[in-house]
Amino acid sequence: MTTPAIAAVAATKRFPGVLANDAVDFTVFAGEVHTILGENGAGKSTLAAMLCGLYQPDEGHVERNGEPTLLRSPRDGLAQGIGMVHQHFRLVDRFTVAENVILGDPDQPRLIDQSVVETRVAEIGERFGLPIDPRARIADLTVGQRQRVEIVKMLYRDAEVLLLDEPTAVLTPKEVEALFITVNAMTAAGKAIVFISHKLGEVMSISDRVTVMRAGRVTGEVATADTDQRHLAELMVGRPVESETRRATAKSGQADVLLECRGLTLSIDGQNAVDDVDITLRRGEILGIAGVAGNGQRPLARLLAGIDGCDAGSVAVNGSSVTNHGPLAARNAGLAFVPEDRLGTGLVPGLSLTDNMLLTRPRKFLVDRKGARREVGQAITDYEIKTPGTEAHARLLSGGNSQKVLLARELASLGTEDGPQVIIVSSPTRGLDIGAAEFVRGLLHEARERGAAVLIISEDLDEVRSLADRVAVLYRGQIALQGRTDDLTIEQIGLAMAGVSADDDVGASPAEVAG
Amino acid sequence: MLPFNVRLERRMDFPWWRNALTPFLSVLAALIVGGAFLAIEGFNPITVYRALFDASFTSKFGITDTLTLATPLILTGLAAAIVFRMNLFNIGAEGQLYLGAIFGSWAGLTISEGLPTILGVTVVLIAGAIGGALWALPPALAKAYLGTSEIITTLMFTFIGLFLMKYLIFGSNSAWRDTEVANFPQGRKIPPEARFEAFGNTRLHWGLIVAIGIAIGIWALIRFTSLGFDMNVVGSSPNAAAYAGIPVRRTVIIALLISGALGGLAGATEVAGRAFALDPNGLELGIGFTGIVVAALARYNPFAIIFVATFLGGIRNAGLALQSLPGERVPVEVSLMLQGAILLFAIGGEVFGNNRLRLTRRVTTADAIAEATA
Repeated sequence: MTTPAIAAVAATKRFPGVLANDAVDFTVFAGEVHTILGENGAGKSTLAAMLCGLYQPDEGHVERNGEPTLLRSPRDGLAQGIGMVHQHFRLVDRFTVAENVILGDPDQPRLIDQSVVETRVAEIGERFGLPIDPRARIADLTVGQRQRVEIVKMLYRDAEVLLLDEPTAVLTPKEVEALFITVNAMTAAGKAIVFISHKLGEVMSISDRVTVMRAGRVTGEVATADTDQRHLAELMVGRPVESETRRATAKSGQADVLLECRGLTLSIDGQNAVDDVDITLRRGEILGIAGVAGNGQRPLARLLAGIDGCDAGSVAVNGSSVTNHGPLAARNAGLAFVPEDRLGTGLVPGLSLTDNMLLTRPRKFLVDRKGARREVGQAITDYEIKTPGTEAHARLLSGGNSQKVLLARELASLGTEDGPQVIIVSSPTRGLDIGAAEFVRGLLHEARERGAAVLIISEDLDEVRSLADRVAVLYRGQIALQGRTDDLTIEQIGLAMAGVSADDDVGASPAEVAG
Repeated sequence: MLPFNVRLERRMDFPWWRNALTPFLSVLAALIVGGAFLAIEGFNPITVYRALFDASFTSKFGITDTLTLATPLILTGLAAAIVFRMNLFNIGAEGQLYLGAIFGSWAGLTISEGLPTILGVTVVLIAGAIGGALWALPPALAKAYLGTSEIITTLMFTFIGLFLMKYLIFGSNSAWRDTEVANFPQGRKIPPEARFEAFGNTRLHWGLIVAIGIAIGIWALIRFTSLGFDMNVVGSSPNAAAYAGIPVRRTVIIALLISGALGGLAGATEVAGRAFALDPNGLELGIGFTGIVVAALARYNPFAIIFVATFLGGIRNAGLALQSLPGERVPVEVSLMLQGAILLFAIGGEVFGNNRLRLTRRVTTADAIAEATA
């Protein structure tokens, strides 16, 4: 245990305009889980990419078992027993599990014996708690199962160091549990695990050590036994963090219904992406839609905002029907929509902030740039937006600043008669640093206090639970569970996200649920 | 193998001077390469370029002829620019120009007679714009509703337009053909009321003023109107346009129709200002295609188009003058070659304007390890 399985020594990596990693030191020993923790853009993925051979450090170097080494490519990395499981899977949908496992493996014999491959895949599955049918097609697997295939792929090639890039982002709570069982089995077998995450709870429960990064630098390396979540958060942000939850004080049961949809259904490629969804949203409340990515969140938001038309059902904003009348009708009725794709849908990257402010304003023959420029200037002050100026292109903004510009535009004239009554926000704080996220949450609470109804759609369950007065869980396009946030346990929500209805045997074994 | 790696890196800063400098450097590079070819052919590049410059820009009739050639180029340049900046590639201004000429000369022959000149000419121009827009309509509808590539359809419509024009004069006794002339088929002359007035005894006519006015109008349309704004949004981000409720299809169709109308106007201007008839031989000069070069060099800026059109008009104008250069018979193709080289370098210049070329030393594993552990 004296030499680390893999190490970065004073590794520096630059990209145009960004110092992604600044003289980073990082070590992992065999048999331990070492987490790289940091906010988006802190440099976690860059460090991992250097460790697996995807990038080469500009300065410094990587050591394997104490020996300096040069990894020119991920294939070099794999040859040295270093494997990366990417956040976005690299699998061929039409191939079977076994075919994907041996795809690109330079050690395969010219004539492939499928049964040998399948036996080994099954063995690996057995040993590390990764049950998977080697003959199943990727297209038929759930996201959690696909992740297992990626891990099996690395183990099949005898990886001794595994890098897991935000592996839990796409998983339900139950699937996370199963993944952690696998991680423990791997460390027990003497593998070194690098775990990348920004979720403090998970980090505390799975890691032996944590390296915290901020703005490309290591801000601390601690053993999980000697720390707590608050301390890690402070290292991550660089200052003390306050977390507070403010629920609606008033009983909103009798307030006006501002957004109502009934039987909303949309079929995409023959499947119901949104399936018979009923939502009632009242003045002064925040409803959070939770769910694992890809369960209909995106199409639902677009239907409610009028961007896409529905196949069946109705949408009413502030009492007037806007079903299939397009985004303008919804907006005129008092709906504001902040999409998850901020740069590209919410904002036009190649236009100035001034022009972006005009995007959702009513059209006259001539555009009112002077007014828009004033509005942007005001927003830059009020929202503390960091930008070179009102004429800077939106593409130059960071995630947090573009979200602020979007909210400034969509929440303008809030509380007046012309202002928005219903605010739909998709992934309100995704990719934002903690400061900007706090600011955005504060804005949404303020909007509620000022009489708006807010709908949050987010894959981040913690965010939904901390922001929303009520939670609805979306599973395969349907509302699987709905209730007041305070009345629902995280287990109940987690089961609903995994598609286990309340009528089912809740005592089902974890393996079955996760499978 | 090279001892270093070559890589293009996207630039993060876009100072205005680089935007302005790129076209000039592109032209300079094209002249140098063109000069090399001239030298290989045994001509003195300096002499040829000086003759070219004299013929097109410094002599009195040189400059007026250059501006006469520039007039339709301004319009076809605008036709390309207004849609290219939206990533819509109408490359059929050539065909739209022919239709503009057909419609314009028809209006001149049938409506203009007896009208005051200003009205007579206006009728020709309006008819030409309508003809060009109509020629862009089928490609526009196919693009908006079927997603058909406008590059293919507008190009194919160009050839239909070309042969339609030729048929009207060479292949039939149409209303456009002058049936009184027996020896060689030619178009009927439009009446004086349908013709642009010329400046003095030059060939330069009021069409230039009209073209410049339209360039200003297009600039104002893009800069100040909601239609121009919506065109910007649709061009740079169709998702954002759908999100904002901008009618994407309608905007695409309108933009292509405006582009077609500008191409048609170029044809009508040629009829009213230079050819005075539907004259296939006098119109089939590649003015529409050259407009694409004009737009690209001008970076789709309407004001820059005026100057670039004048510059390229000069190079075309010089083509003929070069042939009569004393002692050195430079082929007319030189001007075409220069035009092609300029476009090539302009496109290359665009790449280097937006990216930085970086050479990094290629290192071996042994080198890297030795250096890292030193």
